[in-house]
Amino acid sequence: MFTYIARRLGQSFVVLILVMLFTFTLPYFQFHGINAPAYTVLGVHATPANVAIWAQQNGMSHPYWMRFWTYATQVLFHFNLGHSYKQNMSVWGIIALYVPRTIWLALSSLIFTIIIAIPLGIFQASRRNTFFDYAATGSAFVLYAVPSFLLCLLVLDLFSFHGPHLPSSPPQGVAPWAIFTNPVGFILPVACLTLLSVAGLSRFMRGTVLEVLVQDYVRTAKAKGCSSVRTLFRHAFRNALGPIITILGLSIPGLLGGALIIESVFNYGGLGIQTVAAATNLDVPVVLGITLLASILTLAGNLIADVALGLVNPRLRIEGTK
Amino acid sequence: MTHDLDDTLVTGAPASEGVNESIMPLWRQRLNVFVQNKLAVASVTFLVLISLACYLMPWLHPTNQTNQAANFNIPWNQSPSWSHPLGTDSSGYDVLGRIFYGGEYSLTLGFFSGIITIVIGTIYGMISGFFAGVTDTIMMRLLDALLSIPYLFLLITLITIFGRTTAFLILIIGLTLWWGNARIIRGDALLIRNLEYSQASTAMGASKLHIIRRHVFPNSISNIVTVATFSVADAILFLSALGFLGLGIQSPQTDWGTMLQLGSVQFQNGYWWEVFPLATVFILVVVSINYIGDALRDAFEVRLLER
Repeated sequence: MFTYIARRLGQSFVVLILVMLFTFTLPYFQFHGINAPAYTVLGVHATPANVAIWAQQNGMSHPYWMRFWTYATQVLFHFNLGHSYKQNMSVWGIIALYVPRTIWLALSSLIFTIIIAIPLGIFQASRRNTFFDYAATGSAFVLYAVPSFLLCLLVLDLFSFHGPHLPSSPPQGVAPWAIFTNPVGFILPVACLTLLSVAGLSRFMRGTVLEVLVQDYVRTAKAKGCSSVRTLFRHAFRNALGPIITILGLSIPGLLGGALIIESVFNYGGLGIQTVAAATNLDVPVVLGITLLASILTLAGNLIADVALGLVNPRLRIEGTK
Repeated sequence: MTHDLDDTLVTGAPASEGVNESIMPLWRQRLNVFVQNKLAVASVTFLVLISLACYLMPWLHPTNQTNQAANFNIPWNQSPSWSHPLGTDSSGYDVLGRIFYGGEYSLTLGFFSGIITIVIGTIYGMISGFFAGVTDTIMMRLLDALLSIPYLFLLITLITIFGRTTAFLILIIGLTLWWGNARIIRGDALLIRNLEYSQASTAMGASKLHIIRRHVFPNSISNIVTVATFSVADAILFLSALGFLGLGIQSPQTDWGTMLQLGSVQFQNGYWWEVFPLATVFILVVVSINYIGDALRDAFEVRLLER
């Protein structure tokens, strides 16, 4: 198990370097090349001389590989993500301010998604081709097709402007753990993000359980007289866990992307809003930093999923130690 | 998966109801399975109708959709009437005409980026899966890196860098949405290259290109077609998210996402005609495309053909 984790860690590190290389190269394709942010910092009428001074100050004049080397060593050895061009803050400052807020939002909706989608999928698979199954599949289909922002805006209209008058946005400018101290404000954003993820996950769960239900060991379990509940949970569900864990590990980028829309609709200052603002302002260090962090979160998710997979599936554990 | 079908078709073994069924060309059998699915046929019909409307209506029944200055003497946010069947929007454009006009951009963009996606995804996945070994490891680690960046973040960054003309939007979505597809197709290729018939082909001295062309590609076509359909739907959805963030097609041209965003602001004032008709069309389009994908997967499923 230990060598397995070590090998996966090594692979993740390589992937991380590749992400850094990719995101670091992208700004070179900007309209004004690597100096494009100068025009958003100094204004559109900046003289070439001023742009040149800005480029000098920010080390733009060095060759590509040298700049990447500096960037990579600063990130990897000093955990220094640089300084925002547009906001007078270090990138770490921005991340420390906004990332916990997004993480709480994403994490709580992930938990609700798991609690709702997995039983729903199992139930659908066990009651295949009944009215309930058709209704759930149909709503999942429609939910998947609704643009997420439209769903949020309709939910806002139904539950905030009319009806129960729930707060239309979470409390502003408070500590990230406001989700515990002021949960009412988070009902709508978390519910929307959950609803959006439930559609995909429950469908996936249904498919996986259906595949497991036709296996021989499920037939054997039925034949030896297991009750249907015991068959479903002791035999079918345990074997369907593998794909579910993998897909949950892979769901982090989608969750962050969904959080971006949710944050914009509900006006919740988090990672998503910051990314949009930084990208439109060509605030390259912030975009690079946030992208890198998101990739790290994704890779960590995959890694945890793989380790969890080893825990639930003894066969993988043995293969891993080899 | 379909390989055993090809063989049995020649010998006519699986004939369940007479000979005619078994010597029917493969595509006819698949078409039969597809046509039996009434909902799928309805989806195709709906998509054809809506595409025809989007591409032809601006010609057959032209409405002003680009010249905002001409709208000054038209009441804005006007409720449905005979002259404007679905009312006018917050800039005075005719909503019905604008649904077709925006649909032209959304559908074209979704279709073309879907095509780009599947072509690149197939080529990349096939090479990676077929050559396996070191090539596969390198190509898959590259994919891991790209897949670990949240897609919407990347899309926004790319659009601010490259701008958002229609052509660039197609290219940006098409050139970034194939990563997941490549993974699926690579899994297929990896599986098929290790099957007996591919090995037999290798043993008989077939070239790699031949095996890819004659065995790997035809046998993973079911996944390729299904994934292609889903990509088109995803592209349309991602474009709508971009429209919401104000990064969609630029005004005065428009796409469905931008229209929904502008309309949903007005919805809070009670102007339902700016959201509900378009939202219905949009959801039906995406649902139909996804449903056709599901039905195609069934049509390519050999087990269903043999019943």
